[in-house]
Amino acid sequence: MSKSHHVEKATGIGDPQCFKGEAGKPKFGVGDKVRIRNLPDIFYTRSQMYLREAEATVVKLVYESPPAEDEAWDNTDSPEWFYSVLFRQTDLWPDYPQKFAGDTLETELSERWLEPL
Amino acid sequence: MSKSDKHDHNAAPMVDEISDFEVLEVAVRELCIEKGLFTQEDHNEWTEYMHTLGPLPAGRLVAKAWLDPEYKQLCIDDPVKASLEVGIDWINSMPSKFGTPSDYCNPRILVDTPTLKHVVVCTLCSCYPRPILGQSPEWYRTPNYRRRMVRWPRQVLSEFGLQLPEDVEIRVADSNQKTRYVVMPIRPDGTEGWTEDQLTEIVTRDCLIGVALPRADRKADDKRPIHKAVHPYGH
Repeated sequence: MSKSHHVEKATGIGDPQCFKGEAGKPKFGVGDKVRIRNLPDIFYTRSQMYLREAEATVVKLVYESPPAEDEAWDNTDSPEWFYSVLFRQTDLWPDYPQKFAGDTLETELSERWLEPL
Repeated sequence: MSKSDKHDHNAAPMVDEISDFEVLEVAVRELCIEKGLFTQEDHNEWTEYMHTLGPLPAGRLVAKAWLDPEYKQLCIDDPVKASLEVGIDWINSMPSKFGTPSDYCNPRILVDTPTLKHVVVCTLCSCYPRPILGQSPEWYRTPNYRRRMVRWPRQVLSEFGLQLPEDVEIRVADSNQKTRYVVMPIRPDGTEGWTEDQLTEIVTRDCLIGVALPRADRKADDKRPIHKAVHPYGH
């Protein structure tokens, strides 16, 4: 089996563990308020449309990894910090019942998708 | 109904055509083998490995955590290490030895509390913690579940028979990057004094996805009730 550079790097270490330490200093910290950017995504993305331009709170710095937009093309040159962010459901969906205003949604986004609020 | 179109009792195939995506998978797989990226034996080894996996290790992980607060903390801090204690090596046991795009090595245990209930969905397609939960159920991969769980979680949960009070926060985890979520529900009443083996039996797959709560009177391998047809066909 011929192995690409990414496979060799991740074997025995794991993915995303193999990119640890490659993304530099994280731009955001736990508790930071952010807005999800609405970037163009002509080819590939894993950042869902329903999150775009919504406000969220960073709850965890999860790992460093090439963003999906790069990794789809086997480009692992520029890993980024990934953040777990928490949304209020009432911020995502205009008609989410106020009765359940405490309900939330958590998901992960890479640093390029976040702007400080 | 005329006599000629009467049901003739010949069994029809369940699925009589394959989807475009299945055709694409076969084409890409055959190209990979032809170009030497992997062999047919590699592919066999992989698919056979995938079919050995199931939700039992995750059930045991939850049962252990219910009994041992230190282990519970390990589940939160280092789920890869915690998984080793239930026989799952996220990093080394898979044939590829590094995880695949659908099984990255970054598990995370979402711990429920009396006021917080987690439920997992992958709106992109089907990301699922396969090393510790096995193959995802068919409904988990349907567009219906994926679209509606993020948008109307309480309604979808009630379709699974799970109705939660207003003062419980429902937190939907959309698994669309490299983390694979497992829900740790709260230990149900009526299980006082139970052993780890007993507790493991009630932590079903659906409890680990978050669409059900464990109950002292329901085990993963219970016989399913048979509901007879109200209007049986033909006979």
